[in-house]
Amino acid sequence: MSPIKAGSSAGTTPAEAAPAATPSLAKRLRFDVKSAGELGAFVVLIVVFAILNPSTFLTAKNIQTILNQSAIPLIIAVGATLVILMGSIDLSVEGVMGAAGMTFVLMSANSRGGTGYGVVVALIVAVAVGMVLGLVSGLIHTRLRVPSFIVTLGVWYVGLGIATLLFGTEQIPFLTSDSLKAWPTSLSLGLPNSFWLAVLLVLVGAAIGRYTRLARWTYAIGNNEQIALGNGIPVARVKVINFVGAAGCSAFAGVLASIQIGAGSATVGVGSLFLTIAAVVIGGTALSGGKGGILRSALGVLLLTTLNNGLILSGVSPNIQSGVSGVVLIAAIIAAAWPYRGRLRVSK
Amino acid sequence: MKLTGIGKTFARVQAVKDISMEIRQGEVIGLIGENGAGKSTLLKILTGLHQPDTGVMEVNGKEVTFRRPQDATAAGIGVVHQEQALFTNLSVAENIAMNGSGVKDQGTRFGIFRWRILNQEAAETLARVHAKVDPRAIVGDLSFVDRQMVEIARALRVDEMVHASPLVILDEPTSVLERDETEVLEREIRDLKKIGSVIFVSHRLDEVLRICDRVVVMRAGEIVAERATADVTEDELFALMIGHNERAEVHSRDREGAKPAPILEVEGLRRDHAFHDVSFALVPGHILTIVGTNGSGRESVCRAIFGAEPYDGGVLRVGGEEVRSWSMSKAVRSGMAYVPSERRVEGMIGGMDAAENLTLVHPGAARSGPLLRKRARAKIAAEWFERLDVRPRDPALDLARFSGGNQQKVVMAKWLQSADLKILVLDHPLRGLDPGAAETVNRQIRAACDQGTAVLLLADTLEEALHMSDEILVMRDGEVTARFDLSVEAPTAIDLLGKMV
Repeated sequence: MSPIKAGSSAGTTPAEAAPAATPSLAKRLRFDVKSAGELGAFVVLIVVFAILNPSTFLTAKNIQTILNQSAIPLIIAVGATLVILMGSIDLSVEGVMGAAGMTFVLMSANSRGGTGYGVVVALIVAVAVGMVLGLVSGLIHTRLRVPSFIVTLGVWYVGLGIATLLFGTEQIPFLTSDSLKAWPTSLSLGLPNSFWLAVLLVLVGAAIGRYTRLARWTYAIGNNEQIALGNGIPVARVKVINFVGAAGCSAFAGVLASIQIGAGSATVGVGSLFLTIAAVVIGGTALSGGKGGILRSALGVLLLTTLNNGLILSGVSPNIQSGVSGVVLIAAIIAAAWPYRGRLRVSK
Repeated sequence: MKLTGIGKTFARVQAVKDISMEIRQGEVIGLIGENGAGKSTLLKILTGLHQPDTGVMEVNGKEVTFRRPQDATAAGIGVVHQEQALFTNLSVAENIAMNGSGVKDQGTRFGIFRWRILNQEAAETLARVHAKVDPRAIVGDLSFVDRQMVEIARALRVDEMVHASPLVILDEPTSVLERDETEVLEREIRDLKKIGSVIFVSHRLDEVLRICDRVVVMRAGEIVAERATADVTEDELFALMIGHNERAEVHSRDREGAKPAPILEVEGLRRDHAFHDVSFALVPGHILTIVGTNGSGRESVCRAIFGAEPYDGGVLRVGGEEVRSWSMSKAVRSGMAYVPSERRVEGMIGGMDAAENLTLVHPGAARSGPLLRKRARAKIAAEWFERLDVRPRDPALDLARFSGGNQQKVVMAKWLQSADLKILVLDHPLRGLDPGAAETVNRQIRAACDQGTAVLLLADTLEEALHMSDEILVMRDGEVTARFDLSVEAPTAIDLLGKMV
């Protein structure tokens, strides 16, 4: 039939196949400038604190401290970024951390007795507990059409409840293995293990974000859910998978946090939610979805932890520190939203 | 592709009836008709968004039924919607690949993107329409015409899936394009002919004549004519589009004495990419109508005047005074009212009862200080229900449960309830109303007018415009192309159409 011929001959016209290369260069340059904003802020921060605290800030010891402190929010940020890219939000971070951390401690050798099931099994079960919580969030959000904000707010407290229940009325369960407790802060190649672990997860996350269809669908949903549905993207499934993934990351972070404090505690994740969401936003991921990325969030985490560390070293009272973090977050959001401030429009 | 006796009825309205047409290989068909002629319904049937009640569709001699949009895609029908459906945050290549999601393609394997192959495939697809777009560029950074080319390329991709010649439907692709951009698009459409067939929907008749081989004219859900473009003129198409009773009755209102001072003056109003240099004056007791096609910018002008959308330049004077930082609340406070075309979304609060909706903006006696007086509210609502013959006669009923016409009466009453209504902006007030309800609403508009309210009207049909107005402004592509003062001139619908398209 003639149409096939017509189609294929047009498809192989070689001369026109070469796309114009010039506009992309300009575009890429502009992208670089955009991300340079956060990178520039990070460099400025380092320079300022290095000048303020010449003897303490840029020491190997302090850098190790900063990187060790970054590890947990980095891991959480990987999952949180994917959820926020869809235009949803996961507030259950601290609850999932508590439930997973407690599960891990109770399944490892601890002061309540027993030799445990080994680190690997305990870790797998703990992460699985977190993922089940994420599955619950995702299913309620997509099937019952409840906003993710309120579902995950509820799951946060469900997670805390599970952790408290596991804790029971006995004594605090301490981890008994000293080598396990020392692992996160031990150095490999000069940097703490916890940081290496976080780097590994961030790189895996970034690769997922760049190369998997799932992640590109995530970006598409964040841009326009209606068009996504019209294109046949399985929106509900993508959302559930991302919530499960995010909860898995939180659970992993909960385990790491529990190892670091060496004991089981329901409130092991306190403060992590604010830090992570702030870092994701400061990194440049829009809360409305569709824009941003995991590497940007990682930069955001480093920026915030460095800021906190620098403020302490500079002698800023811990009392006003949280206030400063809040102001930084608000300033970053104003800067990000600046091009879009216009009068509120009637829905259209 | 062949259609026989296609019909579709919504509720009681027959949107299209007994449509039969044939689209041959390598042919470009123009589809024209007034708003509401049934073009969109027909397109939705062709693309699987609606299922026809009657009739048979055949593709390449085989009968087909489209239950979902994917079925139409599988049959080789690609569509470029009026509103672009691209992900602005993703790259061109991703957008092109996204359409084929669910269909096996080479760019992804086991859910992993192979960017090199993906970009290469996209480049090939783009090359077929001679679009010079980098597949790696982010769609949001592209110009409008480039985005349109991406849409077309994506629509074309259907033939790679079915290995047959594609049918590409372009729904008013040029309505928002600049002139030179349109030329690019026209060239692309002529190239498309070599690959497959095209259905081209447009309000611009000169374009239709230039681009298409054959024109199909629809009116009131039916095909009223089919002409080869070689032996038809623009004027003939006009006449076919609006029917033969184009001699609308001439406006007969008497206007005596000097015109009062204008209550609203618009001077050189503009917003980038929407409208520019729009000037007119609204006089108390007069009705000014703006006519134009979709994309003529008239809706945006109205919304800008009511403060619902910003404008970039020009002067707006209300009651002789220039306004600053104009907003909806200021507009309402200075006696302006706006009946939006999207009634259910913007004009009313479903879930609140009719009486509450009615007294929402101007509570009058239904309020004393910050407190609401339920009994007074019920009384006001009952009076309006009686006056406008709203059925069912139950103001305590949730407004969402009324029919469209009765909802519109309540929405109108909400503004007419104001003791000091100076300007009434009406965006398609009769949309979706049956003749009875339309007459009631029209009578209220006239009554308000007689009491000295200035009315700015966007009419559904040209007949309505000619019937109601004192002055008609014609807009096209964001510009005012003509003005008719009906007290001294008597334009016909054809005169208006000539300036619109």
